[in-house]
Amino acid sequence: MTAPFEMSDAASLWLALLFGIFFGLSLERSGLGDPHKLTGVFYFQDFTVPKVMLTAIVVASTGIYLLSDLHLMDLGRVYIIPTFFWPQLVGGLVFGVGFVVSGYCPGTAVTGFASGRLDALVTMAGVSAGSLLFAVLYPMLEGFYLTSDMGVVTVPGLLGVNHWVVIVALITMAGGMFYFLGRWEKRTGR
Amino acid sequence: MRKGTYLSPYVTGTILGLSLLASFYAAGRGFGASGPFSLVAGVGTNAVAPDYAGSLKYFSRYLDLPHPLLDWGLFLLIGVFLGGLAGALSSRNFRLMFDKSASMSVRTRVFTAFGGGMLIGFAARLARGCTSGVALTGGSQLALAGWVFVIAMFASGFLFATLFRRYWS
Repeated sequence: MTAPFEMSDAASLWLALLFGIFFGLSLERSGLGDPHKLTGVFYFQDFTVPKVMLTAIVVASTGIYLLSDLHLMDLGRVYIIPTFFWPQLVGGLVFGVGFVVSGYCPGTAVTGFASGRLDALVTMAGVSAGSLLFAVLYPMLEGFYLTSDMGVVTVPGLLGVNHWVVIVALITMAGGMFYFLGRWEKRTGR
Repeated sequence: MRKGTYLSPYVTGTILGLSLLASFYAAGRGFGASGPFSLVAGVGTNAVAPDYAGSLKYFSRYLDLPHPLLDWGLFLLIGVFLGGLAGALSSRNFRLMFDKSASMSVRTRVFTAFGGGMLIGFAARLARGCTSGVALTGGSQLALAGWVFVIAMFASGFLFATLFRRYWS
């Protein structure tokens, strides 16, 4: 039997709770329940967000493709998010504005609330309200929502290169960025 | 900014990456955080106005299920709350407060927190996920979706941050 595993609904929910605890712990212990740290990157004040995100992406992507190449995990049964180019591009642009205005994203708002921040609870209410607004406007948005459906497409697939080429490029990029951020922080005393 | 006793972002990033990898390995899925807010909005609307909720096509994806609240993403997010709470309490980092810049009134902060949250909720539905489900999860799968979203998000964040500088600096 190869991973991922078939399991009962109850087992999968317990597992979700467990992974969520690790997710919340890593966010809070990084300081990513703090909206000042979360938005710090946009003001060149605090680089926790790109450091945590890029480190996690490098670790997880290396692991996924290593396990898959070693036939320890069937990547075909892992849910990979499909690409809808324009809705995801526009969604990202609008999301960036909301991120800067509120100081949170959905997961970090939960972490912020868990550390006692009431403004994060207000943001959580706002995220639900925004989702409701989307559902209300959906008949008008459906055409755009379903446009530019590219299916499941990966960057190495799109470029026609081996996935390790992209992962090594990613590691190099992350390493270079961390090096220069470290130098910048040392020089500016942040 | 609150003085916190935080861990190195490289340490926490590695723990986050390994947790994400374990989730792919065991359950075949990654982390998402925005879906549950939409689910709760759908279930909440259904509780208050079932006819209206039933007329909203987008919510049928939740409301047609026999037990919509027994959802992977919702349980993951409950875990995020518990993990965040454990982290904050264990490091004496828990404090009830409205986090804002010194010059901002609580009323303005409620307005920016809610308004920004609405933009986030709306945008995440359009993009089929957020910083967790699309950027982090999709990014680690090397999915094009993740990288389109994350580049757009940072580009717009940097652009609009100059407008909101007085709020966060």
